[in-house]
Amino acid sequence: MSTSTAAYTDKARKVYGRGDTEVVALDDVSIAFDAGQFTAIMGPSGSGKSTLMHCIAGLDELTSGRAFIGDVDLSTLDDKALTLIRREKIGFIFQAFNLVPTLTALENITLPLALAGADPDQQWLDTVVGTVGLADRLRHRPSELSGGQQQRVAVARALASRPEIVFADEPTGNLDSRAGTEILAFMQKAVVELEQTIVMVTHDPVSASYASRVIFLNDGRVVSELTDPTPESVLDRMKQFGE
Amino acid sequence: MLRTTIRNLMARKIRLVTTGIAVLLGVAFMSGSLTLTATITHTFDNLFVDVFAGTDAYVRGQEAFDASGPGNFGAVTRPRVDASLVSTVAAVPGVKAAEGNLTGYAQIVGKNGKAVGKPGNGPPTFGGNWPKVAAFNAYHLVAGHAPEADDQIVIDAGSADKGDYAAGDTATVLTKAGPIQAQVVGVAKFGEVDSALGSTFVFFTDRAAQRYLATPGKYDGISVVAEHGMSESAVAERIRAALPTGTEVVTGARMTKENQDDVAQALSFFGTFMNIFSIIALFVGSFIIYNTFSILVAQRSREMALLRAIGASRRQVTNSVLLEAFVVGTLAAVLGLGAGIGVAAGLKALLDVIGFDIPATGMVLTGNTVIVSLVVGIVISLVAAWFPARRAAKVAPIAAMRDVAVERADRSRLRIGLGGLVTALGVLALLGGLFGDVSNPLRLVGLGALLTMVGVAALGVLFARPATRLLGAPLERLRGVTGHLARENAMRNPRRTSTTASALMIGVALVGFITIFASSAKASLNKTFDDQFTGDFVVDSGTFGFGGLSPELATRLRDTPQVAAVSSHRITSVELDGAVTQLNGFDPVGLERIADIGIVQGKAADLDATGLAVQEKKAKDKHWTIGSKVPVTFAETGTRELTVRAIYRDHSVAGQPGLNEFVGLAVFERNVPDAFDSQVYATLAPGVSVTQGRAAIEAVTANYPNAKVQDREQYKKAQTAQINPLLALIYVLLLLAVIIALLGIANTLGLSIVERTRELGLLRAVGMTRRQMRSMIRWESVLIALFGTLGGLGVGLFFGWALVHALADQGFNVFRIPVVSLAVISILAALVGVVAAAVPARRAARLDVLRAIATE
Repeated sequence: MSTSTAAYTDKARKVYGRGDTEVVALDDVSIAFDAGQFTAIMGPSGSGKSTLMHCIAGLDELTSGRAFIGDVDLSTLDDKALTLIRREKIGFIFQAFNLVPTLTALENITLPLALAGADPDQQWLDTVVGTVGLADRLRHRPSELSGGQQQRVAVARALASRPEIVFADEPTGNLDSRAGTEILAFMQKAVVELEQTIVMVTHDPVSASYASRVIFLNDGRVVSELTDPTPESVLDRMKQFGE
Repeated sequence: MLRTTIRNLMARKIRLVTTGIAVLLGVAFMSGSLTLTATITHTFDNLFVDVFAGTDAYVRGQEAFDASGPGNFGAVTRPRVDASLVSTVAAVPGVKAAEGNLTGYAQIVGKNGKAVGKPGNGPPTFGGNWPKVAAFNAYHLVAGHAPEADDQIVIDAGSADKGDYAAGDTATVLTKAGPIQAQVVGVAKFGEVDSALGSTFVFFTDRAAQRYLATPGKYDGISVVAEHGMSESAVAERIRAALPTGTEVVTGARMTKENQDDVAQALSFFGTFMNIFSIIALFVGSFIIYNTFSILVAQRSREMALLRAIGASRRQVTNSVLLEAFVVGTLAAVLGLGAGIGVAAGLKALLDVIGFDIPATGMVLTGNTVIVSLVVGIVISLVAAWFPARRAAKVAPIAAMRDVAVERADRSRLRIGLGGLVTALGVLALLGGLFGDVSNPLRLVGLGALLTMVGVAALGVLFARPATRLLGAPLERLRGVTGHLARENAMRNPRRTSTTASALMIGVALVGFITIFASSAKASLNKTFDDQFTGDFVVDSGTFGFGGLSPELATRLRDTPQVAAVSSHRITSVELDGAVTQLNGFDPVGLERIADIGIVQGKAADLDATGLAVQEKKAKDKHWTIGSKVPVTFAETGTRELTVRAIYRDHSVAGQPGLNEFVGLAVFERNVPDAFDSQVYATLAPGVSVTQGRAAIEAVTANYPNAKVQDREQYKKAQTAQINPLLALIYVLLLLAVIIALLGIANTLGLSIVERTRELGLLRAVGMTRRQMRSMIRWESVLIALFGTLGGLGVGLFFGWALVHALADQGFNVFRIPVVSLAVISILAALVGVVAAAVPARRAARLDVLRAIATE
């Protein structure tokens, strides 16, 4: 397994509000995500896990501290540069509304590439599409796809530009358990077989167990970490923080 | 429910402000034009009150024919009275003073050699006798003295200023007797002002006025002032007993009223003209209201459903939407009314710039204007919001449970069916009005045009998808995925796209129609002129009916050796076979050598003092043949029987349209005492070059500063250029409709962006730059605008085609599609799309990505 770092934070701090209403969402979090790994970030709601992801992904700004994609310091970038980083180096899978309704599945998958004006690497695209099993659905519009299929398109889109890192925010949150299992398996496959890097935010121990490393967040701090988790070990660890 | 409505209004301020502005602009324009019309009317009303303030009764000739109609303003319909009648009237007991009154055309030439005033398209330039009875004189001397000899004149202070004259100067005055030299002995003011509403006045002695302006021994009428204590009607009653047949007496009050009514009637045309544009603006505005409320209702359908679920009745839901529309409409109407005063001032300035000088002082806001503006603004808002309100009420309570509620994008059969029906009715009414034989064609044509546009707007939903697909096709190649998304967005909701585009469609349809019509008119004019006119020069006075060139000019041209043939053109109002019309007169022999109007029967040379030439089609319609007798009533000489001596083909001569009949100058000489040539045509003698000819003609016209010498090309250009000011005015007025349409597109885009927040956030998250986002919105807007333009050009083309063919009788013989102009219109319309997208695109680009994707 490669040991290079895909993304990391250095004393990442995020504060909402001021004075009496001040809420510390991230409290000097320093953490690194290794390339080629499937990492899950867990924590109860309000623990700061989504904020952490948003800040590393260049969707939100830190109050202090720094976040890096590869060795690029995001705090030094303007909106345009951040957009280009997202387009070229980051893949996204959201919980819902992942797809542009007016575009076909294939167009959605290649959207970040198209926005960059780049031609897709056809071989890689075929591999990705094959991995998520969508070859016969490419001409369909999102409204003609099931929820599970839509998320598979989203996974394929996140991978299509061969990003340095993929962020997934509760990717199975809106799916039934069978479709959810399918998506998690695809993501695992992408990491293991296609050597991709995925960071997934979840509050579900079963989902987290698909990752090779689980980071636990509480009150804006990293409180624990697990490698090679099982649903049970994750659940045990969660109980320690009394959720 | 009321509270909910108010909350909704507050929450959607920006949308409703834009919607409100659409109504506001329409109302402002309406109240502005009503105010301007009222102000002008008021100004003239006061003028006539002043003019006739000292007149208790007025004696005049009986009307030969009734020319009260909007197109016949200023037509002379009465014979003059004998000067001897003045003493008869003065002798009537109860009459304190009586004095003959005379007014006609006279134009003073300034010291710089240029004629003062433009009687063709500005206030009139009068000449008259100086009233010796102070009560009859609306002017008073501010310098010098009254004219005492026939070569002495008094001029108004305005003319003195413009012509740079003072008492003691010698001035040239243009009259029907030719240019005369006179000594300015006095300068007079009209009340407190230099000149009455911009008109100019040259006062002569009675005898000089008769000689230069009218006929020796005649007056227009006799002004009477009664003895103290004698009522107007009583003195009129006594005078009536003393009058010979053919004359009548009216009270001073009646004179005031008649003159006021004449002006009001002449202005009614102006009022109607302006109202048409108000209606267009409001019509376009109603589309915006309809669209905005449709989208708002769709976006709020969950909320509506919730209200229904917790027990609100359908009526309550409908009323809550209508109440919103009412509040918006009322606010917009009130503000629009206020803005209307500014619009009135702006319109006046605009008309001044374009060359229609409008006299008005202060602004008169009438109760009528207030009521009409408010009612129209509110009613339009309510009617337009009614359909969306009904739809709101139809939202099933269960919709509250659904995840996303999107506007129904179906192509309802009812809509298509109704749209088709309305379009068909509109086209039928339009064609019926244009080609059919109906009593009020203008109204039918207007109704037809309105229905056609509503119908086409309704049918637009059918074309929105294929048309934007087609128009957007090049975009993908040009702009990649941004263009692709823009095209898909324009296609995704055909109903919304087509309704949004409809507003612009109407604007473009009208602009396109006017452009095509004007272009056809110019082409027809040029073609007819090229086909028929064989002369070399036209001397143009720029006037039509009132004043013009002294006939002396034509006589002197005939005596010029370089000129081989001359024909002058005169116009007068007559009643011909029961219809009031403008009768044209030409020198028939000269005419044959100057223009080939296609005489098919008879001879021009036969047009003697009782001869009449009739256009072929009119002759056929009236069953007139050579030798038929046609009664023609002249103001001065009464009814004469003219005999048809020639039948000809063309509907116009030298670009002067409406030539359905004409007579030889002999008829004018016998029946029309105020002889002026509106134009004089000339053909050069063989061997005379155009340069030599021009020099010879200009040597003659040098004494007539109101004469413009034009060769064929210059004349053609001048004739077609006459259309331009009106065209410019119409374009400016239609601009309003286009601005409202622009607001509509901006509004729809703004609402769509709110609706697509998540999607836009997603696009930004996966790597769309702000610039790409702006470009996407902009191109969507351009596609909508182009779709509207395409529809508009189609409708405009049809309107233009129909009107040009309907006017074939008026000399429209060319239907020309001005390709370049239409291309320019399309480009401008695309720019409208770009401008409309400016604000929504900026908002979309500034969208907070995180909030957009996190929104629940």
